[in-house]
Amino acid sequence: MSMQDKVTIRQLPTGVPGLDEILGGGLPEFSFNIIAGAPGSGKTTLAHQIMFANATQERPAIYFTVLGEPAIKMLRYQQQYAFFDHAKLNTAIRFINLSQVVLEKDLDAVLQEIVREVEAANPALVLVDSFRTVVRKAQGAVSDVELQGFIQRLALHLASWQATTFLIGEYVEGEIRDNPVFTVADGLLWLSQQTERNSVVRKLQVVKLRGQGSVPGLHTVRISEEGLQTFPRTFGLTGTGEKPKGLRRLSTGIAKFDELLHGGIPEGDSVLMAGPSGSGKSILATQFIAEGIKHGEPGIVAIFEERPDQYVRRAKSFGFDFDTPQKNGKLEIIYLRPLDLSVDETVHEIVAKVKKIGAKRLVIDSLAGFEMALAPDFRTDFRESLYRMIGALTRMGVTIISTVEIEDVFTAMNLSNFVISFLADDIVRLRYVSIDGQLRRMLLVVKMRGGSHSIDMNEYQVTDKGIVIGEPLRGYRGLITGIPGPWLDGCAQIQKPPNESETEL
Amino acid sequence: MTAVFPAIQDLAKRILAVEAAGGKAVGTPVDEAVRACGKLQVPLSRLTGPAGFSSLLSRALVLAKAEVPSLSVVQVRPDGSLAGFDEIKHGQHVGDLELEKGRVVLVGHLLGLLATFIGESLTRRFAREAWPDASMDDTDSTQKEKQ
Repeated sequence: MSMQDKVTIRQLPTGVPGLDEILGGGLPEFSFNIIAGAPGSGKTTLAHQIMFANATQERPAIYFTVLGEPAIKMLRYQQQYAFFDHAKLNTAIRFINLSQVVLEKDLDAVLQEIVREVEAANPALVLVDSFRTVVRKAQGAVSDVELQGFIQRLALHLASWQATTFLIGEYVEGEIRDNPVFTVADGLLWLSQQTERNSVVRKLQVVKLRGQGSVPGLHTVRISEEGLQTFPRTFGLTGTGEKPKGLRRLSTGIAKFDELLHGGIPEGDSVLMAGPSGSGKSILATQFIAEGIKHGEPGIVAIFEERPDQYVRRAKSFGFDFDTPQKNGKLEIIYLRPLDLSVDETVHEIVAKVKKIGAKRLVIDSLAGFEMALAPDFRTDFRESLYRMIGALTRMGVTIISTVEIEDVFTAMNLSNFVISFLADDIVRLRYVSIDGQLRRMLLVVKMRGGSHSIDMNEYQVTDKGIVIGEPLRGYRGLITGIPGPWLDGCAQIQKPPNESETEL
Repeated sequence: MTAVFPAIQDLAKRILAVEAAGGKAVGTPVDEAVRACGKLQVPLSRLTGPAGFSSLLSRALVLAKAEVPSLSVVQVRPDGSLAGFDEIKHGQHVGDLELEKGRVVLVGHLLGLLATFIGESLTRRFAREAWPDASMDDTDSTQKEKQ
């Protein structure tokens, strides 16, 4: 069979932000699906959202309620969500209570009742909530084979009547195996809710979806007054082309720092700016953003440790006006500090802003603050999440500076507490050094994946104009320990820096 | 006690007026309140199940009896229909005005309970479904309050 001969499966929109991408484009029309999960995971809300997104007067939806949440209360609560459209009720959407049939009669009667309503209404969508109750009632009264027969007849009939079906039920993970309901289903959306310490994290998994490729893995879900919102692990960038990296160098706004970088930061790179508290990481990152704005390159600053107004005030103290570019759509300051945040949500927010203002530069200040804002459950995956995040953003052509605080030890020089150095294309290390009874600051470019850089260790100062890079520190040994000493007699002269004191990668 | 919005009470009066004007067809319940509740029973039972409708009607009746004691003989049958209005009517102890008030209060409480749970807008939708030919539209009282 040629590709032209294969049937085209129309995909229905879910009405849930992010979910169509997770499903591989939408819900396959006429599919027989299960929305499963623990109580409180958002099953009913998800079902309603899909229903309101698709039901029309010509092709309505029938929502069968069975011994679960009473329909009157379901309506009471669901109408609080923004997607609930009063005008659709009893025209495009009909609620039918099946409780009595389920309680008093057998599976055949339940099937007959559903069939009767479906044939009368010609619905595009049929939802049964909770189907688990129907099955539970039947179990014990009929064999597994009979139960499977009922589910198969139901699936067959609803597909024949061109209805896309959703069975909603409370299940636990162990029940998937050998369960006739899951065997028959074309699609299985699994919602879960995990509590760790004081944080609650909701996730969605497409366990099964016949006929199309979905995005594997657990995707973060958030429920707000808008309803469910999903955050695909692909960050909404499926099918987005990769922008070439390093075609030009971006100025940091500090001429001498650009020199150390041999022309600036390669565009599309991820830079790790590591150093102890007070070393000027944030100021350097601020100068990078300000320089971009000066050259018409919009920027985004994601801050976790101070409020946007404080950040703007601090920038102003160094002579940078961050109010005007915010008004002009050249700068977005994202302040994220909920304690149950996921990396995926953060990235979605950043990606949305990048697309909105066409951002070229991004500062994440800081990774430690970012990690603290995450729910404990997400902190365990922080490295993996950062890897996906940085990859996604740099593929969009965004150049990123992430600051990371390091506690200086005076025997060695760490690059990061997160063991994430491999994520960075470029690493810049700031540190304190004790020289001549003074605590001075030193900067060095440790790594630049895409090109050469200076190997000098330069002294710098934090001034009211920002970072000012000084001269290379010569004549000292053990600078990276932070407690350098003079070279032995005559050595300082011998160690005169040669011209080739620069790496060529 | 559940207070009934004036707009919902107006809706109850309108429903009862429609039922009174329609007269009693052969085989239909005699009293307009019984007929009105019977018509609401159809869409509400589909929504809440027969047991759900009976629960709502029973609660509405309790609230109504507190306001109009002459409704004390009225009962909700197991099938969700009302019994007792004929006894009041033929008992000659209750005047027409009192009986009329009892009907409005009972239907008003049934609609009011529904409005409490699902809002006035959806309640009017159910009324429109039960009386498709009658005008059930009025400005939503909650909207009025906002204005």
